[in-house]
Amino acid sequence: MSHAFYLDVDRCTGCFACAVACMDQNDLEIGPEPTAWRQVFKVETGAAPEARLRYVSLACMHCEDAPCIMACPTGAVARETGTRVVKVTAELCIGCHSCSMACPFGIPRFGKDGTMQKCDLCSVRLENDLEPACVRVCPTRALRQGDPNELSLTVAKKAAERLATST
Amino acid sequence: MDKLQRMIKGKIPGEATGIEVRKSVCTICDPSGVCGLDCYVKDGRIIKVEGSLENPNNAGTLCSKGAAQRQWVYHENRLRTPLKRVGPRGSGEMVPISWGEALDTITESLQRLKADSGPESVVFYCGYPKQPRPFLQRLALQFGSPNYCTESSVCFTAMAMGWRLDYGQMAAPDIANTKCVLVWTGNPFYSSTPNAGRLMDARDRGVKFIVVDPRMSPIASIADLHLQLRPGTDGALALAIANVIISEGLYDRQFVSEWTRGFDEFRAYAAEFGLERAEQITEVPAALIREAALLYATTKPAAMMPSSTPLVHHTNGVQNQRAAAALVGLTGNFDIRGGNVSQPFSWLEVGGAGFTTREHEFAMPRAWSDMPPRLGADRFPVWTEMINQAQAMDLPRQLNSGAPYPLRGLMAFGMNHRLWPDPNGLLAAMEKLDFICDVDLFATDTSKYADIVLPACGSVERSELRCYPQKYVVLTRPVIEPLGESRSDTDIIFGLAHRLEIDDPLLNPGAVAATGEAGGFLPNGAPDFTRGFEAALDWNLEPSGMTVAELKKHPGGMPVPNSLPVTLRKYEKKGFPTPSGKMEFASALLEKYSDRPGIDALPIYREPKLSPVATPELAQDYPFVLNTGSRLPMFIHSRTFRLPWTRSLRRDAAVDLNPADALRLGIAQGDRVELSTPAGAIHVSANLTELARPGAAHMYHDYPEADVNTLLSSDYLDPISGFPGFKASLCAVKKVAAVDAPGVDPGAAAGVTR
Repeated sequence: MSHAFYLDVDRCTGCFACAVACMDQNDLEIGPEPTAWRQVFKVETGAAPEARLRYVSLACMHCEDAPCIMACPTGAVARETGTRVVKVTAELCIGCHSCSMACPFGIPRFGKDGTMQKCDLCSVRLENDLEPACVRVCPTRALRQGDPNELSLTVAKKAAERLATST
Repeated sequence: MDKLQRMIKGKIPGEATGIEVRKSVCTICDPSGVCGLDCYVKDGRIIKVEGSLENPNNAGTLCSKGAAQRQWVYHENRLRTPLKRVGPRGSGEMVPISWGEALDTITESLQRLKADSGPESVVFYCGYPKQPRPFLQRLALQFGSPNYCTESSVCFTAMAMGWRLDYGQMAAPDIANTKCVLVWTGNPFYSSTPNAGRLMDARDRGVKFIVVDPRMSPIASIADLHLQLRPGTDGALALAIANVIISEGLYDRQFVSEWTRGFDEFRAYAAEFGLERAEQITEVPAALIREAALLYATTKPAAMMPSSTPLVHHTNGVQNQRAAAALVGLTGNFDIRGGNVSQPFSWLEVGGAGFTTREHEFAMPRAWSDMPPRLGADRFPVWTEMINQAQAMDLPRQLNSGAPYPLRGLMAFGMNHRLWPDPNGLLAAMEKLDFICDVDLFATDTSKYADIVLPACGSVERSELRCYPQKYVVLTRPVIEPLGESRSDTDIIFGLAHRLEIDDPLLNPGAVAATGEAGGFLPNGAPDFTRGFEAALDWNLEPSGMTVAELKKHPGGMPVPNSLPVTLRKYEKKGFPTPSGKMEFASALLEKYSDRPGIDALPIYREPKLSPVATPELAQDYPFVLNTGSRLPMFIHSRTFRLPWTRSLRRDAAVDLNPADALRLGIAQGDRVELSTPAGAIHVSANLTELARPGAAHMYHDYPEADVNTLLSSDYLDPISGFPGFKASLCAVKKVAAVDAPGVDPGAAAGVTR
């Protein structure tokens, strides 16, 4: 089974709970640099009174055909067998930032030791039937995690309800 | 890494890893409904937190503040011992002392002031947390002082007063059963995060959302209709909506004719707020006002979601709240399923938890009439008549004037002087006090004025009773030992009652038993009154049928046994608990004081005392509406400023400005700007966002380096509630040269991986 994050953008309020839960789970030391593994963005379009505000919480997508894995010259970024999570082995990372250039989502972060770090989807928690910390904490359940097909089915169901009630 | 190491690193609970999940609650933001907290504890230390799944309030979730719990609990600046001031007030020069010496000094000081100037010369104040409130109130009154006051002098109470003046009671929105939610200012996504999921669920069910808010807040941005009014014009908007509903015949005629007082005068007055005039005052398009009125009045049932501050942080706040709340009765949505339902308080102002307690009797052991007048009694007579607390906003005045009598002592729990307008004026006035004791988790700027500072512990280190409108109750147990020599607020209160020899078996059981066995002091002299606390709780819980012994068996809480059912349309049997027994469009209580400026029986609309309309000359020099204190998701007052995790999410003190205004003033994102009023100026970063209303400057409060409340005068208050006009005054905004500000380095104060 592969794992994916899903974010219902309509339910994300930009509360940052996911970002902090990730810091707590992973003992992240956050200094002056933006090294948090999960980032929340406010996206504004238009101008008052027609402005539109949306929030997006973003962390590693654990892509199936992950460009960071292809770009990594040392094998530090690799797919974990079993969970199929994209993981970093700090000992192998040479801090070349190739993954940063390859990643379409701007995910890789570099801590004090200069090696790449990022979300590992709380794979130990997954193995123990616990949700990733960011998913568990989300006050609106905007952020979800699971099998991509199952997640899509949930979204499709909601769309179906919307279609049925609007006609 | 082997499997066990991996599990330990991943903080997987279980025997193998030695990680245990223990139950508590988070009270960092301390609303009426606190969130259940799972603490992952290893070797006596919390290594991770999560929301408790079984807690009906948060159902496994937390907000960013609660998720940062660990940095809060283990912050290096936590107070670990009592402190004694050795330098001038405010200098922060303090030395550690023993609990014995601290309690001796407090007892001696309070007894001396009582003997010299009467017990009323000592003020008792409760900021955060809220759980010690009934205990501190009882201590204050048993000591003989009527001057018990709380941070509710700036939060919640004025909103409750608005509803109580109209209906004699508050009525909460029944979100689960409604078809339309009218959010009358406030952004519950950040101020009441556990409700965010329920609101989103309602929206997914097709419930209509109307949001009244000067800001394009996160909830306004998903609303069906957003009425982006000029700050402080809520009353005019509500009256205009009422006028549409009445003139188009959409009001509940039967309810209005049978159950209301003063409708004809109200109707005539509301008629003065035609759509055209309302648009002029509120700057909300006339068509949008009408559309909102029709949607709210014709979608049945509809619920109004009030909030604790935005609507009442105005110099005309209570009347604006009354006008808005009146729409509920007008449309027949009062005390019906899916409308606004009134439920009695169970404990700590949580309504509808399905049980009753003796809290009121406990907190009010003496009648106000048996004591000298409270703070604010003369200045805020409506507050004084309605609310069983002193109005703390009057503290600077009485400290300075000594009228009607001098104040000499202050016994404070979690006091934050930055919650007053003109906070520096309050500090200067506090210099006059003979004795100040402050109890807090951290050395704060306010505690630096205290003679003695006592170390309090947080929620995970203590036991407290909390309940929920989902008919759920929890008595928490400490999940870790209190840090250092810190103690719970209630232990400290019971310890003081013992030392002060208060003659009250509920607060000072030792005085009766004379054995000290009902509680006492630890070898280091710190108070430990667990048994006295539990006995008092049992006394309070007596009408509920629940006991501490039973509650202790359920550390994560339990459903309230034999909970009282929710009843609707209670007024049909009992009438309304107002002077007339009816809903009062014209308030009989306000009528009594209508000879005073700013007080009228009808919800008369008045401009904020400082506004482009009320003071156009001032507005020429100060053209922006200053709107302060709107919640940011990662902060609650100053409580989480010092945590690197939350501080990293918004590092600098910044004012939210609309990009169009900024462009006009040549201000770019991150520029230094000056906010100024005739009272003073602060320098902050500019944050350009469509969240800000054009023409308004939205500034978060409490920053020590840029305290926006210093821009307001201490008398900028609502004459009915005494609440400050934090949400509408006037200021100027201009770009200033960048300086090398002493930036906050959150990493420096870490304590993350301990």
